[in-house]
Amino acid sequence: MFFHNLKYALKALYKNKALIFWTFAFPIILGTLFKLAFQDIESNEKLSIIEIGIVTNETWNQQTLWQETFLELSNSEKDNQLFEIKYGTEQELAQSLENDEISGYLLFEETPKIIVKNSGINETIFKQVTEEIAETTTLYETIIQTEIQKQTNIEDFGEMINRITSKIEEIQKNPINIKDNSSKNMSYTMIEYYTLIAMTCLYGGILGMVAINKNLANMSAVGKRISISSSKKGTLLASSILASFLTQLLGLALLFLYTIVVLKVDYGSKTFYIILLAIIGSLAGLSLGVATACLCKGSENTKTGIILAITMTGCFLSGMMGITMKYVIDTHIPLLNQLNPANKITDGLYSLYYYDTMNRYTMNCISLLIFSGILLILSTIVLRRQKYDSI
Amino acid sequence: MNIIEVKNLTKKYKEKKAVDDLSFEVKEGEILGLLGPNGSGKSTTINCLLSLLNFEKGEIKILNQSMTPTSYEVKKEIGVVFQDVAVFEELNVYDNINFFCGLYITEKEKRKKYIEEAIHFVGLDNYKKYYPCELSGGLLRRLNIACGIAHKPKIIFFDEPTVAVDPQSRNNILDGIKKLRDNGATIIYTTHYMEEVEILCDRVIILDSGRILASGTTDELKTLAKIEEKVTVEIEELDSAYIDELKQKKNRICDL
Repeated sequence: MFFHNLKYALKALYKNKALIFWTFAFPIILGTLFKLAFQDIESNEKLSIIEIGIVTNETWNQQTLWQETFLELSNSEKDNQLFEIKYGTEQELAQSLENDEISGYLLFEETPKIIVKNSGINETIFKQVTEEIAETTTLYETIIQTEIQKQTNIEDFGEMINRITSKIEEIQKNPINIKDNSSKNMSYTMIEYYTLIAMTCLYGGILGMVAINKNLANMSAVGKRISISSSKKGTLLASSILASFLTQLLGLALLFLYTIVVLKVDYGSKTFYIILLAIIGSLAGLSLGVATACLCKGSENTKTGIILAITMTGCFLSGMMGITMKYVIDTHIPLLNQLNPANKITDGLYSLYYYDTMNRYTMNCISLLIFSGILLILSTIVLRRQKYDSI
Repeated sequence: MNIIEVKNLTKKYKEKKAVDDLSFEVKEGEILGLLGPNGSGKSTTINCLLSLLNFEKGEIKILNQSMTPTSYEVKKEIGVVFQDVAVFEELNVYDNINFFCGLYITEKEKRKKYIEEAIHFVGLDNYKKYYPCELSGGLLRRLNIACGIAHKPKIIFFDEPTVAVDPQSRNNILDGIKKLRDNGATIIYTTHYMEEVEILCDRVIILDSGRILASGTTDELKTLAKIEEKVTVEIEELDSAYIDELKQKKNRICDL
């Protein structure tokens, strides 16, 4: 029964022209348009070294770890030089910022502060690097404090130092390092392709919604006929949802293939993680569709409209029409981006591309899984209902 | 033998009773007609019988078993032809019947045979590869029927299958239903057309506002309603003796 329904669910999906358009054709068309629209920007605006400032006050002089990290990131002998650093007093750097000579400057008082004038990709990178260093520094400090608190006997001081050193060495195996993992330099248009992938993942919601609509008596005539059959509802729903998921994955595979082979988009070297995130993103999209079908009232067209609206708004907020939007939302309404599945997918891909560490990527994957889990649990509560008050 | 038993079925939509304390039974091999105007509770009754709708009160037994959404063994013996055409627009005639038949019959060879028989029964032999959008209204209705009966159910519900169907297609549908009964199926047929129940049904239940107004065979119902026919005859010349004779038959002659 499972495979019988799976076979026909797939057959019905591939014969549905509207679904085929939204799942397969639309992302490819949009990707092509991005290429046409941004190819000049891409060639003219390869990521240049970001000019920043650091205020060299008393506090800064005590921050050995920070000094070494920024020295490393501004080493002009290395391929992955990220910053050109100007050192000076706060007044000098404020003036440089005013004259647009630097993108921002770092001021160390009790805590490190970033001062920027505009909101753009340079400022975002500067802010994110600083946050990363701050996190790691805090980690080191915590280790040292914990070990000191444990220490009761002054004779064991040498042993304590050894323990601290070994823990720090362990952490340093994953050093603070921001670098471009791809064969080319960072491209501004990459964020557009990331949001395109996010959009394709979330469009799977339409497929998920159709799978539910076709199976429930209160949603379609076909659903009514299926509901009165002697086949188990759970089996039918599971096979229909699987058919939608497989179709969506095929759509994504086609998009990846097209963008890589035809549009020559370079997604970097972490292929496995990109595919994993795309699968998790698709699951989030599918869950969104299933939940929309179960929890929202209205016709199939209304529900399609709801899914499209959520997807497009989500992609817009995560930078589809310009990365500035992502930065603005991150700065002013961070909760919105935390709840936005499109942003989670985009940000996960972004972190894969720009960071060596997997923390941010992992957090995005976990967030998407939680998002999917909550929606699927809510949907299951509704789907468990066997009879209806009205049809 | 009663194949369906309904006792005191009551179904409300908010405060309005759509079905009000309805009790009836269906005998094996008969065609039972549920006759009534729109909103009389025919479709609601069918949906309650099929365990699609919650109801406030009552008991439904089909094949001597209480009917619930998980009565899969009972459901195997049931086929439904809905008023709305319930087929996949994306699948052709053969695939549609195959899909719905496959929800009941897992054995491939048996299913293939059943599908061919269903296609032949509704006369769609030349349309197997056609998609629903390529079929006329009448042919679409036939496909709808084929999807409901292909698995050879013992009990078949027809919920106003002739709505918006031309007279010729309607006659075909009614003939098909008679054939199904002759092949041993028990049929519950809902309609608001008097003439259909008269042609088709062994027994009729007349519903209004969710209650039974009357039930019985068509002849019994006619007697119950005291239906008489009035014939007016115009004669230019009539013999006076014959007029006297007619006057003596006053109970049969209304006016002279």
